[in-house]
Amino acid sequence: MSDNFIWSVVIGMALANFLVRFIPIAIVSRVELPRPVMRWLSFVPASVMGSLVAAEVFRPGGSWINPVSSPYGWAALLTGLVYWRSRSFLGATLAGMLGFVALRAWLG
Amino acid sequence: MLRFRAMPNTLPIGNAERGARFVRGLKLGLPVFLGYMPVGAAFGILATGLGFSTLQACACSATALAGAGQFIALSVIRAGEGIFAVLAATTVVNLRYVLFGATISPYLRGLTLPRQALLAYFLTDETFAININDRRVGLSTGWSMFGVGVISWVGWVSGTLVGAAAASWIGDPSRWGVEFAMPAMFVALLIALAENRQHVIAACMATAIALALPAAALIGMHIPSAWFIVMASVGAATVATLLFPDRSVA
Repeated sequence: MSDNFIWSVVIGMALANFLVRFIPIAIVSRVELPRPVMRWLSFVPASVMGSLVAAEVFRPGGSWINPVSSPYGWAALLTGLVYWRSRSFLGATLAGMLGFVALRAWLG
Repeated sequence: MLRFRAMPNTLPIGNAERGARFVRGLKLGLPVFLGYMPVGAAFGILATGLGFSTLQACACSATALAGAGQFIALSVIRAGEGIFAVLAATTVVNLRYVLFGATISPYLRGLTLPRQALLAYFLTDETFAININDRRVGLSTGWSMFGVGVISWVGWVSGTLVGAAAASWIGDPSRWGVEFAMPAMFVALLIALAENRQHVIAACMATAIALALPAAALIGMHIPSAWFIVMASVGAATVATLLFPDRSVA
């Protein structure tokens, strides 16, 4: 793979990823949004996280797994419980990773 | 929603106050830093394996800051595709940032365009969720968001550097449980963001749609996987808006 190709990927990705983030902010922060739109936007964060968790727990790496016999589902449950009790992102993330390693050794 | 709101960002504040808000952001972003380090290292290892130099891998992480968008780019490159396919893949995977940007932009109204651009550059799943959560408890400001962005960026780029420079020495990153760092953060953020019954229902609907879309492939309907997250999020938020009419404006 040529050096030029890789550099054009790097520069292209920088632009693409910046524009997809900046354009909505630049536009939406300059207009007053109607209440129904604000209402809709208030549901977006929980919806995005719900779909990301579903993808990560049931289809890690893009293929279906059985959540009962895989470490992903149980480690996700553990992470959720730790966050619920502690309200600490750091503690929950670390507990989840440790739990995942232990469960993987156990469940195979 | 009966929670007290922060003072607007536009009020004049002193340097000490700015510094305190920035440091608060750094602290809030610490779990993101720790989560990004190993995943960034995984990106560095994979990228150098594909022919990226250490400089190129780090430049990519430093400028794109795109997590899943960077991994999908590597897999498209590995498949032998050209630059446009790479850019299309990274853009589609990161289309959810359009939703994030639109959601967070009402809070960025008081900021100048260059400052908005800077915060847009730092926008990721995790920084978004932390800032939105912080905003809901009434404490987030432009400076704290900047702190969250900086510490996350440092984690992602330094992780990439370690992975790219020490790929052969680190070996298989999965033995450290790094593949669960991102899912663990998503789970914690989901619980933080699903703050009332209506949000929980929206999240459950999103989960169901996100699983129904790939399941549709089993009956012969093929939807590109890059669209699953965007379609599930848009669908669930739309149904939730229709189900729960506007009583208390968010």
